[in-house]
Amino acid sequence: MKTARVIYEDGKHKWIALVRDPNRPDYLIDSNEYLVVDDDDSLLLDPGGNEVFPSVFSALSTEFDPRKINKLFASHQDPDIISSLALWLEFNPQVKCYISWLWASFVPHFGGNKETFISIPDGGMDIMIGSQRLQLIPAHYLHSSGNFHLYDPKAKILFSGDVGAALLPQGEDDLFFGDFDRHIRHAEGFHRRWMGSEKAKHDWCQRVSQLDIQMMCPQHGAIYRGDQVRRFIDWFSHLEVGIVKG
Amino acid sequence: MAAVPQDTGRELRRIVRTNEEIKRVVATAFKINLMAMNAIFLAKRAGQTALGFGVLSNELRRFAMDLQKQMSQLREMTYGSVSTITALVKQARLNRVLERTRKESTGVGRSLIDEFMRTRHSLTFARHREQIAALNRRLSQMIADTAQLVELGSVLARSAKIEAAYGGAFSASLMQVSCDFERTIGDIQRSLESLTKRQDASL
Ligand SMILES: [Fe+2]
Ligand SMILES: [Fe+2]
Repeated sequence: MKTARVIYEDGKHKWIALVRDPNRPDYLIDSNEYLVVDDDDSLLLDPGGNEVFPSVFSALSTEFDPRKINKLFASHQDPDIISSLALWLEFNPQVKCYISWLWASFVPHFGGNKETFISIPDGGMDIMIGSQRLQLIPAHYLHSSGNFHLYDPKAKILFSGDVGAALLPQGEDDLFFGDFDRHIRHAEGFHRRWMGSEKAKHDWCQRVSQLDIQMMCPQHGAIYRGDQVRRFIDWFSHLEVGIVKG
Repeated sequence: MAAVPQDTGRELRRIVRTNEEIKRVVATAFKINLMAMNAIFLAKRAGQTALGFGVLSNELRRFAMDLQKQMSQLREMTYGSVSTITALVKQARLNRVLERTRKESTGVGRSLIDEFMRTRHSLTFARHREQIAALNRRLSQMIADTAQLVELGSVLARSAKIEAAYGGAFSASLMQVSCDFERTIGDIQRSLESLTKRQDASL
């Protein structure tokens, strides 16, 4: 199963990362799921695919009562993000899922009904978790055309979905990394091919540069800390994206 | 538990095969309808010389219409079973993931899954099983009813052959029509027999 790692804790406010299942079959892309907890309330970020549900659920239960999961956030519509929806709904039919309005009628193909989805407008919105306000930051076309990241102003953490994702080779898959240049090699190919728009990329870089970010948590790969966040934004802004080569 | 997904997959494939067979019978039943109209027309032309045949051809037409009605009901029923089986396949898939979740979980997660699966199993699963069993019983009954109806058709076709002999100048063409009837009804009978066999195997 995956490991639940508390990456931030301040009193009743917590971030738990669910990561690295040693038994994951290699035909499935590895993914990170995150749970933001504030007191008794929580929000599960990019709950993951059907196939990783057992591993996510069991890891999560070691840190948090899974019966209390009643809000999900899907950064976009991909199967590795939200195809486990039907399973979460099995446990709690009242679960709500925040997702871009663009996908609100597509994702029900994975499960749920009219009551399940809360559409996020293009400009983003805030979500209250316990007494903490979280911000949904527009990240359209990176890579999905209806795409959001989530910023927690208290923890100063940006959940960045597929942005910052790295496909790490075995043995180099620590949750945090030291050498930026070494790490970013594993992110380059992914960003060039998956990210679709130069303009959207620049918009995003501009937008997140204004946030105070201590940690940037992608859905795949390792977490960026401190100065690595700034270096990532800089690197990304200079990377040519949206082009198929060869 | 492990047997469930394969079981439902097999059930789904069986329903699909049954559906195909029923579609074949429906197409043939439509042909019978046209043949019966043709027979009525022929009997009218033969007039006095083929009175008996005329009566029979009206009967055959009524039979063809009954058969079509029966067929559309059968088809509706198999559509219904496809959606039930599909729901079951989906449930079975969820169950497989839940079972894996149970194996991986410890502590509160484990007991939560245990409890959840117990109630879920007895509710959802038993209900679907029950639905499928009921569908199968109704389908078998309907196939048996259809077979009986077709048996009547085959008697009509044989009588038409006898009447054709008294058709004077029209005898040859009336005989041709009756033989076509008999052959087509024979086709339907064979299809129904294989359907019955398949149903018996599934019960
Ligand atoms: Fe994606
Ligand atoms: Fe992804």
